[in-house]
Amino acid sequence: MRGHLDGLLLAVLEQGPLHGYAIITAVQQRSGGALELRTGTIYPALNRLERVGLLHSTTQSSGERHRRCYDLTDAGRRTLANERTAWQEFTAAIGSVLNPVPPPETAT
Amino acid sequence: MSDPVEDYLSSLAAALHGPKRTKARMVAEARGDLTDAVSERTRAGLSYEHAAEQAVRGFGTAAELIGSWQRELTIAQARHTARAVARTVPFVIVCWTLLQRADDSFWHLPRAAQHLAVVSAVAAVLAAVTLAATGTLARWFPTPDRLPLTIAWAGTAASMSMAIATLALALSAALGTDWVLLTFACVLAAASHALVAGSARSCRRCARLITDL
Repeated sequence: MRGHLDGLLLAVLEQGPLHGYAIITAVQQRSGGALELRTGTIYPALNRLERVGLLHSTTQSSGERHRRCYDLTDAGRRTLANERTAWQEFTAAIGSVLNPVPPPETAT
Repeated sequence: MSDPVEDYLSSLAAALHGPKRTKARMVAEARGDLTDAVSERTRAGLSYEHAAEQAVRGFGTAAELIGSWQRELTIAQARHTARAVARTVPFVIVCWTLLQRADDSFWHLPRAAQHLAVVSAVAAVLAAVTLAATGTLARWFPTPDRLPLTIAWAGTAASMSMAIATLALALSAALGTDWVLLTFACVLAAASHALVAGSARSCRRCARLITDL
C-alpha cells in the first residue's frame, strides 16, 4: 500500500468531492474489501496532497457539523493520469515475467 | 464512563506537536470521521462502546499513526516558521539600515549591522527555499529530511539578529536625535523577534520529534 496511497486517494476523488470517511469507504468498496486502510493514515496524506496542490479542500456545514471535503485540482488530475500510466507499465512488465508468452513454434 | 473516541483523540493530540490550527484541523477531521464510523456500527446493532472500540481499532493505534502525522505537522511548522521569517526579515533589514545611518560610532554599529543584516537575508533565502521545497516542488522532489531543522535554526538566527536590533535601536533612540523613527523601528524589531522566535522554537521541537521517530 505504501507508495500507492496517493494514487488511490486521487482515484476515488476523480468523480467528485468527498470527505475523509467517504474516501476510506470508497477505497474499501472499490477494492471489494481487499484493501483495508488504517483510517488514520489518510489525514496526513490528504493534508500533504493539498499542500503540494494536487487537492483543494472546502469546509461544508451540515447542521452543527463542519466537514472538510476534498476535490482534485487540475494538477491532481494530471498526476492521476500519470499514476495510471506508470501502474499499467509496471503491471505489464511484471506480468510479462510471471506469464511469459511462449515463443511461436518454428515450422520444420 | 469515558468515551473511547475522545480518550483516543486526546492521547493522539497530546503526542503531536505542530501549528495549532493545522493540528486542530486534523484532529477535528478525525473526530468527525470516527463519529461517522461509530454511527455506522451502532446502526448495524452494536452498542456504543463496542462500536467506538471497533472504530478506534480501525483508525490505527497512536503508535502506528504518530510517525506520519508528526512528519506532516513538522513540515507545516517548518512552513509556518519560513513564512514568519519571510514576512519579518525585510522589516528587520530596514531597521538595520536605520541603525547604520544613526550616528552611534562608539557602538561600532554600522559594521555589526551589516553582518546581522546578512544573517537575516540568508534566513530569508532559506525561508523561500523551504516554502518552495515543501510546496509545489514536493510533487516532483522529496522534501529533504533535514529541511525543518535547517529552517528552525535559520529562524533562530534571524530572531537573535532581531533581538540585537531591538536593543541597538532602543539605545540609539535614547542617545540619538531621531528618536521617534528609531523607537518605531525598535518596536517593529521587537515584534518581529517575538513572532519568529516562538515559531522557530516550535520548529526545533518538531524537527527533533521526527528525528527521534
